[in-house]
Amino acid sequence: MREVFTLAVSAVLLAGFYAAMAYGLGLIYGVLRIVNLAHGGIIMAAAYLTWQLFERFGVDPYIAIPVALVVFFALGAGIYLGLVRFLPRGPAGAVQSLLLLFGVWLIIRNVAYLLFTGNEQAIHTSYATRSVTVFGSSFSVTRILVFAIAVVALLLLHLLLTRTYLGKAIRAVAQNPDSCTLAGIDVERVRIFTFGLGTALAGLAGVLASTLFAFNPSFGAAELLKSFVIIVLGGLGSIVGIALGACVLAFAEVFSIYVVPPYLTSAVGFVLLVVVLVLRPGGLFGQRVLR
Amino acid sequence: MKRQAGGFVLALAVLWVAPLVLPIGDYTHNIIGLTFMFAATALAWNWLGGYVGQISFGHAAMFGVGGFVAARLIIAFGLPTGVAWVVGGLTAGAYALVWGHPTLRLRGPYFSIATIGVGEASRLIATYWSGFTGGSSGLSLPLSGGPTKYQLYWYGLYLLAAAVVISYWLRTSRIGLALLAIKEDVEAAGDVGVSATRYQNLVLFLSGTMVGVCGGFYASYQAFIDPQDMFSFDRSISLILMAVIGGIGTILGPVLGAVVLVIIQEFLLASYSDYYLGLYGTLLVLIILFEPLGLAGLLARLKPLRSTP
Repeated sequence: MREVFTLAVSAVLLAGFYAAMAYGLGLIYGVLRIVNLAHGGIIMAAAYLTWQLFERFGVDPYIAIPVALVVFFALGAGIYLGLVRFLPRGPAGAVQSLLLLFGVWLIIRNVAYLLFTGNEQAIHTSYATRSVTVFGSSFSVTRILVFAIAVVALLLLHLLLTRTYLGKAIRAVAQNPDSCTLAGIDVERVRIFTFGLGTALAGLAGVLASTLFAFNPSFGAAELLKSFVIIVLGGLGSIVGIALGACVLAFAEVFSIYVVPPYLTSAVGFVLLVVVLVLRPGGLFGQRVLR
Repeated sequence: MKRQAGGFVLALAVLWVAPLVLPIGDYTHNIIGLTFMFAATALAWNWLGGYVGQISFGHAAMFGVGGFVAARLIIAFGLPTGVAWVVGGLTAGAYALVWGHPTLRLRGPYFSIATIGVGEASRLIATYWSGFTGGSSGLSLPLSGGPTKYQLYWYGLYLLAAAVVISYWLRTSRIGLALLAIKEDVEAAGDVGVSATRYQNLVLFLSGTMVGVCGGFYASYQAFIDPQDMFSFDRSISLILMAVIGGIGTILGPVLGAVVLVIIQEFLLASYSDYYLGLYGTLLVLIILFEPLGLAGLLARLKPLRSTP
């Protein structure tokens, strides 16, 4: 019983991180109808940025978050302005954007490899091994911090999307770009901002990931897949949908240790994806958009 | 069309005779044989990626399944090499259907990301299923009995010829029209009675089988295979690159792309192996931005009067 409790709390803590990780991908898809295949690469790059700041300047990983947000917002806006903007809209553009952003991912991986070699890296903070005991089960402080930061970030994002003009504009463009032009919304600027924001969120996920896992330049492929599974599971509808999707994935992964050998944990997400697709052909996506 | 068929037969004949009359060194001879095989895999990827517009990032899975099944059959039962390749290929095709039937309901990016999962899951299973794949130490094939590396040149040529013929058939038959309809608009295709599920499954099965047979060829060629290499993400990437560099959706394109990629791999990367991912990425970005139809598109632009195949 205690074991189940421990696993359940671990799953919830993991789900917080997953939700923050998936939101950037969902946001960009919702507004631009493009799956940012470089998402995993951005997460990896942010992990390396955090590691560098920590190793060289002794900056605490969580203090590095604002830096990462700014850097990756700029990178995302740059990728949009320099590359994505030139793609055609529609199905042809969807295929091209996939290959283009995949190319960007490969370049980011190569740069990371050249700068930092292919070795595994990890961030060892002074509090990395500390844990808190609740009802006789202990949980690492790092995981709890990551969960708290993720929840705060998602709440701020929710406020941004529902309470500000910019946020409302983003949701409006997600629903119907043409009418937005008629209503005087600068659609192109909203797209630039959204790509930047989505990339910044991937950057945040990277900072958080760097404190949880070891990473190398190939890091991020599994994170991309998981983010995608969460979006399919939870829909793009709301923070609640993403949170639910993240919970389903996290619980499935954590409790899969009873059923499959540990090395297959990373395949759980994929199995979940297939199951959902079989049960609900066309995915849970439907025509749902950001509202 | 007659001219194309004539050109194809002529090219085949020239390539068939070339090693017998020209003084080609062993190294070049073997590399050309391998290039034929890569061109065949790129064409097979293109049936799904180019004709239906479903970009697969997981084709290494079928390459690996085909390779390992063929290798196991040769090691355990001493099956003739060709038979082992075909059985391996069919197994790979069946494997493709197992994951493809549910995931092909997804379009575009969703399918693509699902295939990343397929590739990763297959690689993990293959790596840990050491009873079958030899795990991280891999499998060695018997050195005698099968075709020599020298003879594999012609086997590779036959594979390529088969891939070209199937490509042409898929493109020009009723199936080709159906695929085009699915690519343009699945729902509209369904409205006129084109079953996306049936056609996509067919194409994926053909594509998986072809890639699987090529995996068998590769096993015979290397005489040693290990799951980390056969199932690697890089292998899936290289299929995409060949098709995209050459020209996605064309027949000449993936063949040209295979030649370019092998040249890059053999000559450029031998000295700059640290830069290959970045180079591949840059090529993808540049081609998508400036010439989405790749080399074939470039050729068509240079010779506007001649239609590309």
